[in-house]
Amino acid sequence: MTVKRYLLGAVAAAALCTATASNAEVTVLGWPGGPEEVALTAAAELYNSNPAVSEENKVKLIFFSREGFFDKLQADLAAGTDAFDANLLATYSIGRYAPYMKTVTLSDNAADVFGESVLSTMQFEGKQYGVPTDLSLHFLYYRSDLNEALLVDESQHAKYGDISEKYLGARLSPKDPDSWTWQDFAANALYFTKSINPDSPTRYGTVLQLKNLLFNMMVFHSLPRSYGADWMDADGNITVDSDAYREALGLFKILVDAGATPNDSFSYEYAEANAAFGAGQVAAMVQWNAAAADLKDPDKTPVTAEVTSTIAPPTGPEGRFTHVHGLGIGVNASGKNPEGAEAFVRWLSTAEAAQTYALNGGAPGLTSDAVAEIAEQRPDLVPLGEYASSYGFVMNGGTSAKALSVYELQAKEFTGFLSGGKSLDEALSATSDGMAELLK
Amino acid sequence: MKNRKSNIFRWVVFIIVAFIINFPVISTISASLKSAAEISRSPGLFVSEPTLQNFAVILEVTERLNIFAYLQNSLMASLIGSILPIMLCFPLSYAVARRGYGTNVIFPTVVNLRAMPLIIFAIPLYMMYQTLGLLDTPLGLGLVLAVVNLPLALLLLVNAINDVPYELDEAARMDGARIFTILIKIVFPICLPALATVFIFSFITAWNEFLFGLMLTTTKAVPMTVGASFFFSSGGGGVQWGVAAAVIVVASLPPVVLGILMYKHISRSMTAGAVKG
Amino acid sequence: MTTRQENRILAAPVVLFLLAMLGFPTIIDIIYSLSEVSFENLRSPSFNGGQNFVTVFNDAEFWSASWFSLKFGVTTAFAECALGLILAVYLAPIIRNNNWMIAVLIMPMIIAPVMMGLMYRLVLHEFVGSLPHYLYTWFNWSPAFLSRENVFLTVFTIETLQWTPFAFLLFYMAYQAIPSDMREAAAVDGTRPWRMFWYIELPQMAPTIAVGFFIRFIDGFRVFDNIFVLTGSGAGGSTTSLSIYIYLSFFRSGDIGKALAASVVLFCVAFVILFFAGRFLRRKRA
Repeated sequence: MTVKRYLLGAVAAAALCTATASNAEVTVLGWPGGPEEVALTAAAELYNSNPAVSEENKVKLIFFSREGFFDKLQADLAAGTDAFDANLLATYSIGRYAPYMKTVTLSDNAADVFGESVLSTMQFEGKQYGVPTDLSLHFLYYRSDLNEALLVDESQHAKYGDISEKYLGARLSPKDPDSWTWQDFAANALYFTKSINPDSPTRYGTVLQLKNLLFNMMVFHSLPRSYGADWMDADGNITVDSDAYREALGLFKILVDAGATPNDSFSYEYAEANAAFGAGQVAAMVQWNAAAADLKDPDKTPVTAEVTSTIAPPTGPEGRFTHVHGLGIGVNASGKNPEGAEAFVRWLSTAEAAQTYALNGGAPGLTSDAVAEIAEQRPDLVPLGEYASSYGFVMNGGTSAKALSVYELQAKEFTGFLSGGKSLDEALSATSDGMAELLK
Repeated sequence: MKNRKSNIFRWVVFIIVAFIINFPVISTISASLKSAAEISRSPGLFVSEPTLQNFAVILEVTERLNIFAYLQNSLMASLIGSILPIMLCFPLSYAVARRGYGTNVIFPTVVNLRAMPLIIFAIPLYMMYQTLGLLDTPLGLGLVLAVVNLPLALLLLVNAINDVPYELDEAARMDGARIFTILIKIVFPICLPALATVFIFSFITAWNEFLFGLMLTTTKAVPMTVGASFFFSSGGGGVQWGVAAAVIVVASLPPVVLGILMYKHISRSMTAGAVKG
Repeated sequence: MTTRQENRILAAPVVLFLLAMLGFPTIIDIIYSLSEVSFENLRSPSFNGGQNFVTVFNDAEFWSASWFSLKFGVTTAFAECALGLILAVYLAPIIRNNNWMIAVLIMPMIIAPVMMGLMYRLVLHEFVGSLPHYLYTWFNWSPAFLSRENVFLTVFTIETLQWTPFAFLLFYMAYQAIPSDMREAAAVDGTRPWRMFWYIELPQMAPTIAVGFFIRFIDGFRVFDNIFVLTGSGAGGSTTSLSIYIYLSFFRSGDIGKALAASVVLFCVAFVILFFAGRFLRRKRA
């Protein structure tokens, strides 16, 4: 029967596949789909072209889908996979993956290249688990044309004041975004919302990404932090039920209820928010720095690229903050070639590798010395390193094994409150209880 | 006269319903033919400057994104996942249909699998596959898809054999033919249309599966549904909606073409599977 | 070879295949549901009695996910069957001569649910989707399709639009299969169309409708793909179906014991329901 023959063939083919897969090389699993992928590919090419790298230590890159990436990576690592020798790490998941990873020794001058604070994004319980490759933080993206026009047009300032007084209880006037507080951010968002101000050139003043997803909570956290929020105090008591979180959530709730963010924001994540901003219907938003490349590229975002500016997120009573999240590469303890993998990781921590990585679109957090040589080609990396060192923060407990679960929990409870399903007290007390369980 | 008038109403209803239920498909096809600039300027259905650029992007083979490989993997896995259940179920369905064998345990157990959320088997299967070297192979994925398709295959085949006139195999039996001879020489040819139906339905189901494809493959055996999600972020920062739309169109093409060509078979399977089931 | 031996041999392929593919996973599931297990100690779980089941039964989210699944399964099955029945009977006179219409109408159910979910992510987006574009241009209206209040209605509509074709096709085939002499006899007696439908055709189709409802209910109850890619678990967990609950406990929280305990509960409930449903159907037929 032909069917049978086909099946036998399939079995044979499958056996063959697994047999040939065991040739010695270093397989590296990278973060798919972004500039990180392009940058890592370029860095790996340079590494492989080095004659000192033996044939069996050449690097081969693989990528999964972003959909469920961290879930799948966890399942693979937990099952002791040897499909890759080195893999992506993220600050907030190091604790989760650490049991299956090998600690690494970086190059001697790694601290000069990245700086201690950036190296620490790849540490867990004091040990180095990987080389930091990309730094993710948040920018305030705003429409410079709208802001400039508003600053000049004093006839509108009274209306701006009226709107802010009505919704926020304080009479505010337009300002340059670099000196915004979160109140100014909110006032601007309300003013540029058509349903509040029919003359607004944009339909919405801002776009909040409020899908029940942990990454969206990271974007949110720069706000409560600037009001002094933290997850735990020094003694390990959960401090999420605080004035800082109440202020922050209250401000978001005002914006949601006033319709200053698209109606469907509760299904929005990164892509949807960018699409809203790129359609020219949003005046300002807080978004990952990675979006800058697309949002400022006239080919990809024809409507707004020319008039989009970026700056660090607004200030609060306790200062100006941006949530920092690092990506890096670490060594899989069950891999087939851990030595080769570690050699590659060590090489990635050299200045040569970091600069190659940066010049090909990656976003490493570099010290001012290291970035100076490439500042001309990558001017955007200068503020990245600068913001990271001046405004960057990691919540107390943010690298623990359950950090991602904490974000998950917050995503669920906070979106529950913001969408009107729960009171603020209920949401915060449920978050507090859940976090006490997760972070004990 | 009255009849004709009411038939016109029927046509109107048909057109409206067809438009509504196929609206996402139409809208996606329209988006796939637009440039990024046009999508953000005019999101409506009408395409003013049609371009094949999005399709060119996805059909371009790169080291990482290879749509032909995804299509081939899906084809392999779906073939295994649709042919294997037929081979496995055919003998059993004869025993069930003709002799009432297994109607208490085996038959309901298999059919009830249809109602199980198979996600509950995902992690143990992963561990098992890893030991057996089936991870990231079309064969491994195909075997799981075979489990998914088993219930419907059994149900449809039992019904098909019920339709075979009893006298046919009884006569052969009298002549002393062995059971396997009867199965292959007599029952099998009569059931061919039913087998084709099972095959088509199973193939479409297998092709459309997502969760196991996501969990059990990494690079070499990635099926089309999972590969499609790779393209969602292939441009860098965010989703390029035009490219995303194009990849959805390509990924959906094989089952849709099969469905359009074979819709009569599908209708037949529904009759057999449920009307009598 | 006795008939008994023969039967065993005939059944062997399926039985062996299932034992191989699902036997081991089932054992693991049962062991793990009774153990303290997470991704850290995946290969060395420690027995903790029925603790996971207690956790599941005390988890408010488990009950709200069950309620969501039940509500979703019943409402979508009902809507799909009602619409499918109306379409099947109403359109039957023109479909009879134009079989290709079936191909047009069943297109949605041939498309992968995950692709359908992704399509709606595009179609419903306020700034790149066509539907909000038209609603805004024509009616100056931007509805929040996926807000907490509307999200159930939206996912309900999406599921219904994709699977009404299934009910339609099923019922159309059953409608066509009604013996023509029954209709003719009734027509000779001068029975009016709606009476014919109510007293002759509908009873003939009743078993099919029951089966169709049941299949749609099951698929609605275990919904995953399309909701997952569209809204995830929803604002405040408002679109967490039971399958999504299991998936999230499994991966996101790494609470494998809890996830598998929930799976075992679901397995048992499903089995009991199916057992009785199967019995009921068989008895009715007999």
